[in-house]
Amino acid sequence: MIAALNGAFDDISKAMRLHRVWIALAHEDIGDQHRRTTLGPLWMLVNYFAFVGTFAFVFVTKDASNPSYIAYVAIGMLVWFYLTETITMSVSLFQREASFIQGTTLPLFVYVMRLTMQCIIRAGYSLAGCVLILLLSGYGINTNWLLSLLGLLLLILATPAFVVVFAFLGAFFPDSEFIVGNLMRVGMFFTPVFWVYSGQEGVQEYAYHWNPFTYFLEGVREPITAGIFPGHSLAVTGYFCLGLWAIALLLLGLYRKRIVFLI
Amino acid sequence: MTSITLNNVSLVYRLFEKLTLSAPGRRRSALGGNIAKSGTKQVVQALDGVSFELKAGDRLGLVGPNGAGKTTLLKVLYGIYQPSGGTISIAGKVDALFNIHIGFRPEATGRRNIVLRGLISGWTAAEIEEKMEEIIDFSELGDFIDLPFKAYSQGMAARLAFAAATTLEPEILLMDEWIGAGDASFQEKAKRRMDELAEKAGIIVLASHDDALIQRVCTKKLTLRGGRVESLA
Repeated sequence: MIAALNGAFDDISKAMRLHRVWIALAHEDIGDQHRRTTLGPLWMLVNYFAFVGTFAFVFVTKDASNPSYIAYVAIGMLVWFYLTETITMSVSLFQREASFIQGTTLPLFVYVMRLTMQCIIRAGYSLAGCVLILLLSGYGINTNWLLSLLGLLLLILATPAFVVVFAFLGAFFPDSEFIVGNLMRVGMFFTPVFWVYSGQEGVQEYAYHWNPFTYFLEGVREPITAGIFPGHSLAVTGYFCLGLWAIALLLLGLYRKRIVFLI
Repeated sequence: MTSITLNNVSLVYRLFEKLTLSAPGRRRSALGGNIAKSGTKQVVQALDGVSFELKAGDRLGLVGPNGAGKTTLLKVLYGIYQPSGGTISIAGKVDALFNIHIGFRPEATGRRNIVLRGLISGWTAAEIEEKMEEIIDFSELGDFIDLPFKAYSQGMAARLAFAAATTLEPEILLMDEWIGAGDASFQEKAKRRMDELAEKAGIIVLASHDDALIQRVCTKKLTLRGGRVESLA
């Protein structure tokens, strides 16, 4: 166990020393995806506005005039898009990086950070859109935004662990790419991204309280929309991060050398 | 002092039956090496008891039929595969030429691809800067270097990939087949570069099916068959 953890930390520290590699590759990835388009990466902002607009003004028309609901959806979508993209892309990570893994001695964590960086850059565009929506909705920048940053920080800290866990899952269980993709699509409806929980019973109660993604969302959202310190959400998210990182480190330590034989 | 010592190195890996919903008969992929049973698990014995010693100045040619373990041995020496038994002791900086096109991106310019290739190879910013002009000069791409890689002809792409991949200062050089690139005149230039590279490296391990090449370049020949050393001369 100790040897496995040492191996994992060794891989991570080598990858962090190679930060210029994964930062450069992530930028190229983003650039390549939009290189031939007129709007370029701004398409990510357009996508974000389209989704928030749809939910705020079309899908739930009765709340359309409520600025706090628009802010609720805007932040919910920001976090949910980030989570869903990170998780679904992680499942096929090692398969996509097969030529690098089989041809270089780069630490496995380099690929994890490459994807993490990609997801953060993409989320940066959505974040710009979210801030704009919040300002237009009458939520001026105040100290509550700093509390919201705490939630975002936890989300970012959890990202490499999410990537590791789902990348190993995808390597050992290729069918999971489709299973996870479908679950995340359905998961949006079981997570308070656009619906508001106000003490309902039944499925919504379970979906709200027993869904770890709820706390990632609320940790970012509550300070701005409710003006409260999201202590409970941050605590749950923090414990979840610790658990996820423990699994990620074990997977990395025990199985990183076997990935090359699996892909 | 540059050296490589392998003592009874073996590589056994499990044929992972990936958890899948497909029919059992379609799950297993065909791999090289000897397939054996270990309990209920199927394992591949890719290398078995490989031992040899190389010192500075040695040029080892790896020969053997397909699936003999040549590429596997090179990847074990490079550190991509971790041996499951035996010991490996390597003194010296190891560089490898397995896939010269690795990391090249079609949308990026030739110049940007050199930067990316350098980063992947572990070069510092200063080293990339220092080697940039040498690579551009060697590739003879001129103004094309600032066009996207996808605009290059096959020969131009090969020139750039070759120039970037062979700008090394290896103490130990591992090669899976001798590489060449481009038209006749560039082929000659590439051959000289490879000869220089071989000359500079303290130790070379070259896997090839070309006997004449092995005779010309190497001072030792190791024949592998089924992952085992058949002869070392």
